[in-house]
Amino acid sequence: MLRRLVMGALRPNSCVQAAHRLSTTTESSPSEVEQYSSDGFPPPVVLSRNLEFPTNDGRKRMAWVENIDTVQERKLGMIDLHPDIFAVPPRIDVIWNNVHWQKLYRKVNLVQVNNRAEMIGGGRKPWQQKGLGRARQGSIRAPQWKHGGIAHGPRAPTTRFYMLPIHTRLYGLRCMLSVKLAQDDLHIVNALDIPTNEPSYLEDLAEERQWGPSVLFVDDTDVAPENIAIAADQIKHMNIMPVYGLNVYSMLNHDTLVLTLAALERIEKQILYFMHRTDRAKLAEKFKTSQV
Amino acid sequence: MSACISAVANGLRKLWIPPVSQVRFRFHKDKIEAGPLRRRYGYEEKVVFKGLLPHVKHENHIPGRQYIPGDKWTPDKALFGQNDYIDIFSGHIHPTKVLYDVPLYLRGFKGNEFQCLMRKQKMLKHGEIPWRYPTTWRKMNKRIGYLYRYLNRHTRTWNVYRSRMTS
Repeated sequence: MLRRLVMGALRPNSCVQAAHRLSTTTESSPSEVEQYSSDGFPPPVVLSRNLEFPTNDGRKRMAWVENIDTVQERKLGMIDLHPDIFAVPPRIDVIWNNVHWQKLYRKVNLVQVNNRAEMIGGGRKPWQQKGLGRARQGSIRAPQWKHGGIAHGPRAPTTRFYMLPIHTRLYGLRCMLSVKLAQDDLHIVNALDIPTNEPSYLEDLAEERQWGPSVLFVDDTDVAPENIAIAADQIKHMNIMPVYGLNVYSMLNHDTLVLTLAALERIEKQILYFMHRTDRAKLAEKFKTSQV
Repeated sequence: MSACISAVANGLRKLWIPPVSQVRFRFHKDKIEAGPLRRRYGYEEKVVFKGLLPHVKHENHIPGRQYIPGDKWTPDKALFGQNDYIDIFSGHIHPTKVLYDVPLYLRGFKGNEFQCLMRKQKMLKHGEIPWRYPTTWRKMNKRIGYLYRYLNRHTRTWNVYRSRMTS
């Protein structure tokens, strides 16, 4: 769908006209959008997208498409964002629920102490029952003994697992994306191609565009382009993630979220698909360990 | 008589006063400049007399130890939570299936000790654990047997059953 809407060198006139039209409403000079690359062709200008499951309640969100192959920002166009994902009210409690679940559902406590049965020795009666004037004892590993077993100690492993309902998790993702957009921490780029693998390039880029300092790059593919992979690997607080790795905790952890156009398409498609599934009741059933 | 002599002597003293000038080596100004008098020099006051509330110097409680903040961006912390929503974004993989740092028999499991050990026994009995770690395995089986007896004979279920039998 996006490929159809990315209008490139095939239709330059309509691109320029549309760019002029954009510039009147968004206070940017036409030359800012209408820039020609080194090979003489105008870069593709992304203008709009057909949103699935459109809403008619008047909410509307748009975002600039930027480049990251130069340190200086160059705007490549402007696109619509789905209001059900990028314009929901910021429910901080829902975000907290999601982060709490992310922390706990993987948590396993392995603390264990041995009870009297698990300790070595202690089978023999330490002294006879009667005649010595001492208290009667049956085992040197009884819990009242020093170096004895522990009664009612922690038994491992104990898990804190629970499964947050899928609609709460969807709501958490939508809230977090809306918050990022509202706070100007969401940026959309055309691709993750940068000209050099120097980490200083990414630092300069973030400094110039007032990103970060921590930045999370999200792309639709598993394998990131080589240059940005090498550069981001040397900066601890700049990380790359595929779309399926995106989560509420990481979005909250990083200051700035940078999505590629393909990643944006994928995120919107998946979230809308799960929001509008017809088997909603089945989806919201209680989690059973054996079901997956 | 003696009174007359003393009166004459006093009169003579009043007539002639020897010229004595007072020599000062320390003036009041010097005393103020020197500050308050130091008493018990070398003794450190434990009590803080200054101000309304005791101002405790917290940084002196652990002398010689400097606070070094931990690295918040180690790879584990930077990518914490990755793939937790993989069922939404991939459409078919469940997040409990990709908890690779959690033992296999605990992924997506919540239960009491007996249920946990039963699940562990069931899932690991055909692997290498029983012959590689026989003591651990024997202890676990012993614990399962103990919990089975305890839960069936000494908890509420058995008590209700026994009371029905006797009544």
